[in-house]
Amino acid sequence: MSGVDLSLERLLFNLNTLAELGEEITSPKDFTRVVKSSLYMVMGTFSASKGIVFQYDQSDGLFTQIASKGLTDVRGAGLKIGKDAATAIIRNNKPIDLKSADPVIALLGPGREFLERLGARVLAFLIVKDELLGLIAMSDKFSGEDYTLYDYQLLSVMAQHISFSLHSHTLLMRLMYRYNENKGLYENLRRIYYDTIHAFAAAIDAKDAYTKGHSHRVSSYSAAVAREMGWSADDIEGIRISGLLHDIGKIAVDKSIINKASPLTSNECKELNSHPVIGYEILSRIKFPWKGIPMMTRNHHEKVDGSGYPDRLKKSDIPLGARIMALVDAFDAMTTDRPYRPRLSFREAIDEVKDHYNRQFDPEVVRPFISVIRKEVLSEVENPTIVPLMHEHLDPVTLSRILEGFPR
Amino acid sequence: MAVRHKHRETGTSVVVYADNYINDIEGEKLEEMCDAFLEKGFKKIVIDFSGTDLVNSIGVSILIGIIEKIKGKGAVVFSGLKDVNFQIFHIVGLTRHIRVYDNEEDALKESASCDGVSL
Ligand SMILES: [Fe+2]
Repeated sequence: MSGVDLSLERLLFNLNTLAELGEEITSPKDFTRVVKSSLYMVMGTFSASKGIVFQYDQSDGLFTQIASKGLTDVRGAGLKIGKDAATAIIRNNKPIDLKSADPVIALLGPGREFLERLGARVLAFLIVKDELLGLIAMSDKFSGEDYTLYDYQLLSVMAQHISFSLHSHTLLMRLMYRYNENKGLYENLRRIYYDTIHAFAAAIDAKDAYTKGHSHRVSSYSAAVAREMGWSADDIEGIRISGLLHDIGKIAVDKSIINKASPLTSNECKELNSHPVIGYEILSRIKFPWKGIPMMTRNHHEKVDGSGYPDRLKKSDIPLGARIMALVDAFDAMTTDRPYRPRLSFREAIDEVKDHYNRQFDPEVVRPFISVIRKEVLSEVENPTIVPLMHEHLDPVTLSRILEGFPR
Repeated sequence: MAVRHKHRETGTSVVVYADNYINDIEGEKLEEMCDAFLEKGFKKIVIDFSGTDLVNSIGVSILIGIIEKIKGKGAVVFSGLKDVNFQIFHIVGLTRHIRVYDNEEDALKESASCDGVSL
């Protein structure tokens, strides 16, 4: 495993594949087709020329092939492993290099030569909840490059996706209707998605020394406000993802501009202000399972009086999600240190919101935002998201004093 | 019903249009089709992507399948790649093995014997 070339293009290509894979395995299409498409997606991602998917039967320890590509004759292709090997594989639960000295390889017995004959190089076992369901075996890369550490991580994510699909299928086959269990798995799937995008957002924040965790906070604040406004679980998930990615366009902005302490020249300002449009262009290339992510990103710097950018939209022309993000983005910027000024206190930040009420910020969004903060201070919510991240202690008395005279 | 993939024969070369079906496992029929052209005596296959919006991972895997299939039998080159597709082919290492031309005309101009797959 060698170094990682993590270009933006590669991340986008991979994120797109994850989105498509997610869509594919939850689609009502015929099972063999889903497995085949999934295999092709994995192979295309790593440019492997040969690949095969096996389904595992715990009762006899046999792997049966259910899809393959690039292999001339795999009929009768059988692979059998013992109980010990299965246990070790489940415990290990990560893709392995067939040429490595991984102890799991030794446990494969004659299966190892069999897989080598097929031209396999990397094995990704399909495991759901301590149950071995199958195996994806893939050849070396067509390009002759080595699999990187990043490749192994990505393969692990993809294998988890596919395991989920195999698992639902197995469940159906057994005619078991374990709805709740499946629901939990679906949550898991979202988690994988979320984690991948999260890692990506961390890369965005890393570019800006001052905004460490900014995307993460904008994401959770936005979700809290959307929940308060009665959004559906799906739409809340969407704005959560959007929050993580809202500044993705900054990837294209010169780092020195982002971290500059002195006022920006007009050209620098223009460059920095291009980030919502760049973000929009990047994100509209990705097929997300949630609605509105590119537009929320594009319009997160609009102001309700029409003086924002890039589209100078007014109030209701701005997507509601973008109005939520505009508020929490500004609020987080105010309450954290910036290169050009130290952070404001909570009271000062609220005063700013008050001053720009109905000019920069939408009252329809400010009200639920305030109400979430109030509920959090009064411990009326289970998982407070905003208040714990403030640098000062807020008690009900202080809060009501701060909020005094706030338009209701 | 079998989908007939769009193509154009000229001399000993043939241009195959990838369009967007390359992104679906059905696109694999292209592999048989390219193989059949070479069997018939064509020397060079130009796969043109001018009608392809965004090649996805399935498309990449199908293209690798085609290249592997016709290895040694003839030449394959690409043309008409949009920037984003060129980047994807670069990421997955295809551009290191396949010659890429701006458009199908340029791709056809090169003599069939000295370009293409160098595996
Ligand atoms: Fe921004």
